[in-house]
Amino acid sequence: MKLIINHLTKSFEEKIVLNDINFTFKQGKIYGLLGRNGSGKTTFFNCLDQDIPFDEGTFNLIKDNETNTLQLTDIGYVLSTPNVPEFLTAREFLKFFLDINEDKLKEKKTIDEYFDFIHIAEEDRDKLLKDYSYGMKNKMQMLVNIIANPNVLLLDEPLTSLDVVVAEEMKEMLKSIKKDHIIIFSTHIMELALSLCDEIVILNNGKLEEIDRKNLTDQAMKDKIIKALTEEK
Amino acid sequence: MFSCFLKSFKLKTTYRVNTFIYSVKQLPIIKSLLKNTLYSNKPLKVLGLIFSIILELIDTFLGKFLYVFLIIFSLASIYEGESSNSVFIHIFIFLTIAGSFMNTYMFNPTKDKYYAMFSLRMDAKLYTLTNYYYTILKVIVGFLPFTIIFGLMSHVPLIICLIIPFFVAATKIIVASYLLKQYEKKDQITDENHPLKGMWILTGILLALAFALPYFHLTIPLIPSLIFMIITIIFSLTRLSYLNNFNKYKEIYKIILTEGNMNLASYKTNNTNIQKKQIEKQINIKDNVTSNKHGYAYFNDLFVKRHSKILLSSAKKVTVFALIAIIVCIIIIKALPPLALEINNWLLVMLPYFVFIMYLINRGQVVSQAMFMNCDHSMLTYGFYREPKVILNLFRERLKSVIIINLLPATIIGLGLTLILFVSGGTDNILEYPLLFISIIAMSIFFSVHHLVMYYLLQPYNVNSEMKSSTYQVVNFLTYLACYWMIELQIPIFSFGLMTIIFSILYCLISLILIYKLAPKTFKLRV
Ligand SMILES: Nc1ncnc2c1ncn2[C@@H]1O[C@H](COP(=O)(O)OP(=O)(O)OP(=O)(O)O)[C@@H](O)[C@H]1O
Ligand SMILES: [Mg+2]
Repeated sequence: MKLIINHLTKSFEEKIVLNDINFTFKQGKIYGLLGRNGSGKTTFFNCLDQDIPFDEGTFNLIKDNETNTLQLTDIGYVLSTPNVPEFLTAREFLKFFLDINEDKLKEKKTIDEYFDFIHIAEEDRDKLLKDYSYGMKNKMQMLVNIIANPNVLLLDEPLTSLDVVVAEEMKEMLKSIKKDHIIIFSTHIMELALSLCDEIVILNNGKLEEIDRKNLTDQAMKDKIIKALTEEK
Repeated sequence: MFSCFLKSFKLKTTYRVNTFIYSVKQLPIIKSLLKNTLYSNKPLKVLGLIFSIILELIDTFLGKFLYVFLIIFSLASIYEGESSNSVFIHIFIFLTIAGSFMNTYMFNPTKDKYYAMFSLRMDAKLYTLTNYYYTILKVIVGFLPFTIIFGLMSHVPLIICLIIPFFVAATKIIVASYLLKQYEKKDQITDENHPLKGMWILTGILLALAFALPYFHLTIPLIPSLIFMIITIIFSLTRLSYLNNFNKYKEIYKIILTEGNMNLASYKTNNTNIQKKQIEKQINIKDNVTSNKHGYAYFNDLFVKRHSKILLSSAKKVTVFALIAIIVCIIIIKALPPLALEINNWLLVMLPYFVFIMYLINRGQVVSQAMFMNCDHSMLTYGFYREPKVILNLFRERLKSVIIINLLPATIIGLGLTLILFVSGGTDNILEYPLLFISIIAMSIFFSVHHLVMYYLLQPYNVNSEMKSSTYQVVNFLTYLACYWMIELQIPIFSFGLMTIIFSILYCLISLILIYKLAPKTFKLRV
C-alpha cells in the first residue's frame, strides 16, 4: 500500500505554506515529520484530511495494485489538541462509535477490552469525558482512531502530553499496528522521532525532504536534521 | 494611574478596531477583497482611534440621555396631577438603587478586562480601579447635562439637578464596596449578568415602588430626597478607601471572567478552562441518566437528556406559562363579556402575530448552538463523524427530538387559541378551528426545521468556536425581521392559516431535500 501525494500546494493569502509537494509514503513504516513551528505540519495534515481547501494537488492510495483517490474513510487523524464529546462518558462514547461502525469493524472486542488496551482505569470508564485530563482525552481520541483501522493514520504531536509510561505504551502500540498501515507522525521531540520512526521527513520552506539515515549515529543524524531545518531558501 | 488608563484605553481601541476589521472581513463578498495585512494598516489605526473616542462619547452620553428622557422624564410626566418634580426625583432614586445592583461595571464580565488582566497580565487592582473611577466619572459627566435639562423641565430645583449625578455615582460605589465585602466574608461573587434570584426580587420591588407609589400619590418629598442623597454621597466617600485598599481584585476576576460569561462564539478559546466551565454549566449530570437506545438514537438521546436544562425544562416552562395565560384569558372572557367580543375580533385576524410568538418560543437556535458547542465542535474532528451516512442519520434523530420538544408548548398554544376562539364567540367558518390549531403546529415545526437546517447548511464555527461565516447570522437576523414584520399584518385566520400550512410543508420538503444533497459537504468545521 502506498500513499502518493502529487503537486500539493497550499497558501494562505500570499503566504505559501506547502509548495508543490510530491511524496510517496509506504505501508509498514512510521514516518516522523519534523518541522519548525509554523512550517506547515498541521496544515499538511489538514489538507490530507480534506479539512481545508488547497490550491492544487491530488492524493492517491495504491492498494492491492488498485489506484484510488484518498477517501475520508481511509484516514484517521489524531489532532494535537484532543477533542472529545464532553457530555458523554468514555464508555458511552465508545459504545456509540462501535454501534455505528458495527458492520465495518473486523475483530471486535468488548468495550472493557478496549479500555484495558489503552490502560484507562476501571473507575474512570464511566466518568464524563469533560472530567478527563488532557492526556486521558488524548488517549480516547487515539483509541477511536485506531479502532476504526484506517489505512493512513495521521498523528499531530500526539505523545507530547502523555506520561512516560503511557507514551512508551503508545509507541509499542504504534509499532505493533504499523505493518498494515501508513503512519505519519509529527513531533518536536527528536529523540522520539529517532527512536520510533523508520523514516525522518522534514518540512522546510514548503517542501518535504526525506533524510537518509543510513549508517548515521543518532548524534550525527540530529546534526543533520538541525542543519536541514535551518536551511534558508 | 494615568499611564495605566492610557494603556487600557489603547488596548480597548485596538480590540475594537480589530473586532471591526474582523467582522467586516467575514462578510461574504468583501472577504475576498481584504487581506490580513489590514490589521497593521496605519491610517486605519488612526481612524480606529477616532472611532473609539466617538464610541466612548456615545457610551457616555447617549445611554444616559435615553435613560433620563425615556424612562424617567416621559414616564414621570404621565402621572398627572402630581407635582412633577417630586415624581421625577422619586422615580430617579428608586431606579438608581435598582440599577446600582444590575449595572455595577465592576462585576460586568467583559473581554477587555480579560485581555488586560489575564492575557496581558496588567496589575489587576490598578487596572480595575483606574477604569472604575473613569467609569464613575463618565456616569457623573454623562448624567449632568440631562439631569439639568430634564430636571429643570420637570421643575426640579437646580441644586438637586446638580446633585443627582453624584448620587448615582455614590450608590454605585456603595454597592460595589458592599459586594466586595460580601466576597471577603463569604467567598461568594456573581457577575452582574447572572444575578442571584434575590436580586431579581429586590429589583422587582424597587421597580414597583418607583412606578406604583406615585400612582397612589405617594412620593418622597423634595427635602427628604435631598437629605437622603446627600447622606448617600457622604457615605460613599467613606467607602472609597475600602475600594482603594481592597486587594483581591484578581481573585474576583478569576471567578467572574472564567465563568464563561463572555460570549464564547467570538472568543478565542485557547483557554480550555473557560470553555470547560461554559460547557459544564449546560451539561447537567443527573446521575443515572442513561439510554437503552442504539447507535445514533443513543447518542442523540444522551445529548438531549444531559441538556434538559436548556431543552426540555425550558419547553416545559413555556408550556406552563402558556397554560396560565390561556386560563387567565378564558376567565377574563367569562367575567367581562364586553371584552370577549374584542378578543374574538382580534383573534380572527391576528394569526400572523403568532408567527412572531412561535419564533420567540422556539428553542431551535439555542439547541443548535448547544449542539455545536458541546458536541459537534469536538465530534467533527473525527473522520467517521463526517461521513455522509453518519451526518444524515444523526440529523434525522436530531430533527425528531427538536420537533418533539417544541411541539409540547405548540400543542398547548394551538389548543388554547382554538378554545379561546370558541368561548369568545366562535367563528362562522367551522373550518377555522382546525386551521388555527394546525397552523400553530405548522409554525412550530417550520421553525424547528428551519433552525436545524440552517445550522447544518451554514455551520459557521471553526474548531476554536470562532464564528467564521456571517451568512448564518445574516440568515438568523432576516428570520427575525420577517417574523417581526408579521406583527403588523392582519389577515383572517382562514387565508393566513392555509398559507402558513402550505408554506411550512413546502419549506420542510425543500429544505430536507437540500440537506440530503448538501449537508455532507457543508456540515464541517470551518477554517
Ligand atoms: N487559518 C489560517 N490563516 C492564515 N494563516 C494560517 C492559517 N492556518 C495556518 N496558517 C499559517 O500557516 C503556517 C503553517 O501553520 P501550521 O499550523 O501548519 O504550522 P505547524 O508546522 O503545525 O506549527 P507547530 O509546530 O507550531 O504546530 C503558519 O505560518 C501559519 O501562520
Ligand atoms: Mg501544528
